[in-house]
Amino acid sequence: MKKHPADTVIGYFGFPRRKILRETRERFGPDLPLVDLDVDMGAPDSGILPATTCRIVANVVDNALSLGSALAAVVAAVGEDKCDRGRHAAFLLRKMGFSVIESRFPEEEFESRPLVFSRARLPLREKIDRIMATVVDPSAPDPAPASCEPTHGFWGVPPHDFRILDLFPETTHVYGWTRCVEAGRPSDVELECRVDDAIPTIFFTQSFCAKQDLAHFLAERHRGLAVDCHREINDSILAKVEAFVRLSR
Amino acid sequence: MKIADCGSTYSKILDLDSGALEIVATKELVRRKSERYEVATGHCARGRCAVYRNELIALAEGGLALVADGDFSLVDVGGRDIKFVRLKGRKVEKLDWNLSCGSTTGATLELLGNYYDIDFSTLPPSDRWVNVTCGVFGMERVLEQISLGTSPEESVAMFLHGLVRNVIDFIGRPAHFYLSGGFCENPCFVLTAERYCRVTPLGRTVLLEGLKKGLE
Repeated sequence: MKKHPADTVIGYFGFPRRKILRETRERFGPDLPLVDLDVDMGAPDSGILPATTCRIVANVVDNALSLGSALAAVVAAVGEDKCDRGRHAAFLLRKMGFSVIESRFPEEEFESRPLVFSRARLPLREKIDRIMATVVDPSAPDPAPASCEPTHGFWGVPPHDFRILDLFPETTHVYGWTRCVEAGRPSDVELECRVDDAIPTIFFTQSFCAKQDLAHFLAERHRGLAVDCHREINDSILAKVEAFVRLSR
Repeated sequence: MKIADCGSTYSKILDLDSGALEIVATKELVRRKSERYEVATGHCARGRCAVYRNELIALAEGGLALVADGDFSLVDVGGRDIKFVRLKGRKVEKLDWNLSCGSTTGATLELLGNYYDIDFSTLPPSDRWVNVTCGVFGMERVLEQISLGTSPEESVAMFLHGLVRNVIDFIGRPAHFYLSGGFCENPCFVLTAERYCRVTPLGRTVLLEGLKKGLE
């Protein structure tokens, strides 16, 4: 195994197969930290992708280029569990010289993990952080947070700008792809589209994400609110969410 | 005590003591650096008021103050955005706020009207319409129509028709809706909308009514 400088990490995006994450760590260094490239880390805008790219995919490319040689490898979700643009990002990163290991999460590997965080009484920001951490460490939380009856719903993927999450009460349940992550079923569209009809729900997507199709359909069907946002949240989006949370109580 | 709805293009200021209503272009308001209000809403109100109220909440509360119906749809078409609430049993059943793509159309219409000297009080509605994906795309369609020989009046009425279709789609194609905002004073907009459903204009002070209700 090659010896890496101290700041070396393994990057990943989406929800790669656990087996591939494990094998990558064994190959490149079991002690190397795993870094989620989807997340806004303040990397400079690389300008590689068009301005009308979903911000999460742009984060993947910008983060990878910013980390540069500190990135030992990228484990890239490129199947139905991610999206075409994620697959293209993986292709581009490989062309730019990164070691890219592709992952397609098969249905046979779907898990049925309990929805501890999705239904917990916790700040929504913390709930989503802890769900996404299960991609790397799926061990059950001890102690498990208390569950609660939902007053509101948040459907979607973890946003680029987490400030939107601070507007929701702790009794907000998590739905959509993020719930699929906690369940260990990242491309289960049936689960992704399952919501509680009586619960007022925000259907959140990044702008220019194909999940907008589902969000608009579900928001109409369940009298929810579809919200999309490109890059940072602005005051108008915060006001729209604030009004929905307050008026739909 | 003064309350205000400081929109992107026009601001409505109500003196609750005298009852005087002032409607001023927001470009004018931004020059009044020291003007302050007790309660205000709107994109340009932050930093000008002791208490800031959410626009959509002000719209819903204004609708409840002005409309006696149990079930109704209310839409505010502004310079920059479209705000919508649908109430059932006088409770909010659905709301939405069109913020970016598809908005900025009211301001665009005013720019077009000024440029082509359009008098909206006499502008006849058009049977035809152009696709107003957003203000910029809509303006491109108007320029295209004019280059093809359509009159500026007809082209702008077609833009307005496209905007009306966006609004009606956005609010779920109801049989009837209440209209808030500056378009209440635009007969071409109202007549065009009435091609699709019944329209009841409530005027430009619906959000102010909502602010007043919040003071009770």
